[in-house]
Amino acid sequence: MTPRTQLTGWLLLSSLAMPFGAAEALASSVPGMPGGTSAHQAPDALLLARGGGGGRGGGGGRGGGGAHRAGGGGAHRPQTGFQAAGGGLDRGSAKPSGGWSNRLSSDKARPSLDRPVAQRDGNRNLNRDVNRDVNRDLSRNVNRDVNRNVNRDINRDIDRNWNRKVDINGVNLYPGWARPGWGVARPWNYGWYGGWNTPTWGWWGARAAAWGVGALATAAIINDAVDDAVDDHVSYIVVPNSDYQLLYGTVSPTSSTSVSFDVTANGSTYQLTADCSAGTLNGREPGSPADAELLNAACQVAYGST
Amino acid sequence: MALFMLTMTPPVSSGITTMSKRSTALSCGGLGTALSLALLAAPLPGQTELLYKLDTRCSVKGAEPVACTVEAVNEGTATLYRHRIGNETTTVRISDTPVRMALWDASSKQWQSLKRASARFSANTVCFNGRQLCVVNPNYLNSVREGNPAGMAQRDLVKVNFGADGRINASCYDDGCEVTLK
Repeated sequence: MTPRTQLTGWLLLSSLAMPFGAAEALASSVPGMPGGTSAHQAPDALLLARGGGGGRGGGGGRGGGGAHRAGGGGAHRPQTGFQAAGGGLDRGSAKPSGGWSNRLSSDKARPSLDRPVAQRDGNRNLNRDVNRDVNRDLSRNVNRDVNRNVNRDINRDIDRNWNRKVDINGVNLYPGWARPGWGVARPWNYGWYGGWNTPTWGWWGARAAAWGVGALATAAIINDAVDDAVDDHVSYIVVPNSDYQLLYGTVSPTSSTSVSFDVTANGSTYQLTADCSAGTLNGREPGSPADAELLNAACQVAYGST
Repeated sequence: MALFMLTMTPPVSSGITTMSKRSTALSCGGLGTALSLALLAAPLPGQTELLYKLDTRCSVKGAEPVACTVEAVNEGTATLYRHRIGNETTTVRISDTPVRMALWDASSKQWQSLKRASARFSANTVCFNGRQLCVVNPNYLNSVREGNPAGMAQRDLVKVNFGADGRINASCYDDGCEVTLK
């Protein structure tokens, strides 16, 4: 046994003998040992916690009861109904999966305990309705005219180019930023994408004409879809005019213009990359309107204004 | 509230110990008993680790938002949140197991337990003692969210109340915060 392994073994033994705080601090100070970013233990000794209700309507199928087990709540403990009585706030020192942000990129962010309903709820119903109508109208035409062929193309593309399948069980679908307020909570720079009437990608004009597509889904429609999914605790949005399900919580920048994300299609989940500036999916120009919509949706979630 | 009439930060011991420094010390090995004692005493008081520095916006006592900076620093078993607004600094200390929140009172040079704290996820806002100090801090909320994903799912407004012993004695979510219990 080398001195190094002796030391490691001693550290492990010592950490077992330490109270939680000390062991955590030790682990966080030793490279290669988890600890500083480990999951929090559930706050203990909470005298009262009231469940119920989402901010908007809550109740019903949402949240509420005491059936959940608070983070890491011991597989062998009896269910008392109080495990979920979380204290609500904690120390906030565990680094979230998206990392720490160093500045707010949005000028609109204001400290407030009021729900920012002004732009949200006003648009929400409108967008929902519009979205439904748009999707219905577009989908009908697109599906009738294009989707049959597109689906063939999609399947071919999936086989040929979407070659990175993902086991969704191992994916964190709800990183800390994928929540109400996600636009500001994204811990990376954003806000540069979109804002055009038509995409600026070089290939767009000719290809869109060939597809018979005039425009892609607006930022408002995609943002609203994410808002709804967050509110309903659904891990994906249906990409407009497609059968794709974008797992919005998996969107993650890989450079200042590109992102990786997971998408479910035909019952399988794939990890793709997109270059939002060049307008490519897995390094290629989209081969169908659905692919273009997927590219647009992922880029909006990553870099679009909200 | 007088608690927020702060102009200075709490004393912070000098040596900011970085992880690299500490790992270097560990890798030297062979320090035997001295090292053991040092580790057993962990976390050492005064050792600090900067988590992040965030340029953001704050609001004091409901006033118009102003630019501010938040420094989140791990110090021992607590995390200090230093809110710098102009020349003034307001420091909140949050410790866990159990969760406690306290504010540094420069006049008495003591930590004063908070009465309450609130957060609105959709506004990325955390407020201390009502609206005496509110700050846009998505980092904190992202961490809280990931710390308890099941408990926080579909929550937007969270409030906690601290008892005389400084521990949480009530918490509520969303419209549950409108309920009055006797």
